[in-house]
Amino acid sequence: MNDPRSPLAHRRLVIVTGKGGTGKTTVSAALALGAAARGKRVLVAAVDPDARLAALLAPRPAPLTYQPALARPNVWACHIEPFEALGEYLGIQLGTRRLVDPILRQRGFRQLLLASPGWRELITLGKVWHFEQMQDRGHPRFDLIVVDAPATGHSLTFLDVPRVVVSAVRAGPLRHHTERVEALIEDRRRTLLLPVAIAEELPARETVELVARARRELGVAIERVVVNAVHEPPYPDDLADLDQRLAALPADAALGGLPPPRVLSACGSAIRARAELNRHHARAIAQETGLPTVTLPYLRDGLRGPDDAAQLAAPLFAGLEAAA
Amino acid sequence: MTLPALERRVVVCVGCGGVGKTTVAAAIALEAARAGRRALVITIDPARRLADALGVETLGNQPEPMPRGALAELGVPPEGSLSALMLDMKRTFDDLVARFAESPTARDRVLRNPIYRHVSDALAGSVEYSAMEKVYELSLSDAYDTLVVDTPPAQHALDFLDAPERLLEFLDSRLVHLLIHPAMAAGRLGFRWFEWGTRRALALIERISGIGFLEDVSEFLMAFEHMSEGFRERAREVRKLLLGPQAAFVLVASPESESVRSAQHFLARLEESSVRVRGIIANRVRVWPDVGAPPALDSADPAPLARALEQEEGANFPAERAARAAIDAAARYAALVRRDALALDGLREHAERRGSFFRVVPEQRGDVHDLSGLLQVAASLAQVPESPERVERGESMAAAQSRSSAQRRIRRG
Repeated sequence: MNDPRSPLAHRRLVIVTGKGGTGKTTVSAALALGAAARGKRVLVAAVDPDARLAALLAPRPAPLTYQPALARPNVWACHIEPFEALGEYLGIQLGTRRLVDPILRQRGFRQLLLASPGWRELITLGKVWHFEQMQDRGHPRFDLIVVDAPATGHSLTFLDVPRVVVSAVRAGPLRHHTERVEALIEDRRRTLLLPVAIAEELPARETVELVARARRELGVAIERVVVNAVHEPPYPDDLADLDQRLAALPADAALGGLPPPRVLSACGSAIRARAELNRHHARAIAQETGLPTVTLPYLRDGLRGPDDAAQLAAPLFAGLEAAA
Repeated sequence: MTLPALERRVVVCVGCGGVGKTTVAAAIALEAARAGRRALVITIDPARRLADALGVETLGNQPEPMPRGALAELGVPPEGSLSALMLDMKRTFDDLVARFAESPTARDRVLRNPIYRHVSDALAGSVEYSAMEKVYELSLSDAYDTLVVDTPPAQHALDFLDAPERLLEFLDSRLVHLLIHPAMAAGRLGFRWFEWGTRRALALIERISGIGFLEDVSEFLMAFEHMSEGFRERAREVRKLLLGPQAAFVLVASPESESVRSAQHFLARLEESSVRVRGIIANRVRVWPDVGAPPALDSADPAPLARALEQEEGANFPAERAARAAIDAAARYAALVRRDALALDGLREHAERRGSFFRVVPEQRGDVHDLSGLLQVAASLAQVPESPERVERGESMAAAQSRSSAQRRIRRG
């Protein structure tokens, strides 16, 4: 992390993105724990309220709140709730919340907002910008901000909103503020987009598309792709075809209490098929994006808590910090 | 019928992303076709997954029939057929506007309005709703017996149910009336706090945003108001279809813990919306490749296996290490099998309690991207009775077997 070649070296903001089920939240938590272990003060900001994030950060998790709360030493967590963020923003703009809060509570107004596009993304990113700007005694309050981006659709839409707003709004405070948010996202020194993928056909292809679109449409830096839940091969390399050798044994071979050769072989084949599939698609992701991949192992029982997340931090940081 | 949901006209597949919902939807449609139905599968996933699963390159907004020859190979009788449609959701919504607009001018005014362009994209669920709208339209036609719908992979995947109501509620709200008829509201004596507050709020937005976006909003709403009656009627019909006896909801889940959690969340939400789930399909489940449950292998003795391997492979083969590796791999797989079964327990029990069906689709060896792969999934859905050959070999992993026979059939064809 302190190696200047590391993608994390100067980064203040890492936006973890990926389709639902790829392990975005897992990677966000592992990133936060790993960075904290390296002496950084980290804020994990969840865009969707996910109880799992809190459970991965602390053994006795408290629900995520709008205000960043200390989850463990050097790790804060929060949920950027758009209505709260809007209230805060309007309050700051007007110098008082007394006028804002009753308006925000109105049903009609909420309905209008629910139907209005883009503001959630914008206010959420605005809040991220706000966190990035926060200072304590002349130093940034958070060294690293990890955003667990929304799972719905392409997260790129999420990041694209400031650009759209800047192009649509000609003048005024909104444009000015949005420009600053856009500048943060596009600042390749401060901000990194970290896609998380699963090494299977469709998720892999979606990841390749996501990277291509991000490069085409956004100025954001992308330097690594995390490939999550990769199955290890069943056998040591020199015995890689052991499942086939097992299948060749006589069906009635006396194996003590063991399952018959056919079953032993099928178990190995099933794991091997998964491992080969994962390896194949992980390679395809690397080749087609031209980016180094960071591989995280499949965990049978999923992530049960902060200990598991901390364990993933080791391969995650090793991969992120390896020279490209 | 092999799968109870198939007796319904519309089968709606719900579930979170990454569980193979699209594949399962396509397999259900295939199963319907195999039962002699004219089946159509409708996907609204922009990732073109269904196109992949069906092995075709592109799908338009129109039903695309699968080639007769390929279907015959998959055991689809002549009276059955399988078509696929990939929905262009934006176009469907535009069609809806066009249908209810009172004149071409009104239609163009809405379609060109910047607020409409955003609202139709972003009003949560409106896009999903438009998919259901298409389903409704197709349900009126006589071209298909069974419509299988794949829903988008989102935690908000139930939005398509709530969206019409939310949209209608919004159109009904006083706010909208205020926006449409601002002069009227302002002219009324003693208008209420609600209206005053709302106007303040809107003025506030304009002050901060620096755009005259209210003009766009009210223009859009005015144009939309005229079509809202038709839209409202239509939304009611769609809801009636989806919640009525003609439709069956099927929940697709995978045994990964996140998927199970969100499946349970889905079930709760569906029940809140008084939707009865007809069945649960557990996809990508690791199953033990033998009869019965996986045995405990942790303290198994590798010596007999080592002897057998040595006999087969010769003295130079590292038989003992290989025997240990074989047992370790089997133990690892057994643990995965037990883990999946355990993870699915809750869903299985839920299905039993509610009297809905529960099906297990074993994990396939590779990606399902062709019709033969789809056939394997369809075979597990139908729980085709064990063939004598398979029973003899004690083979319960129907997948491997039916895959190879499907491939043989396809090659022959």
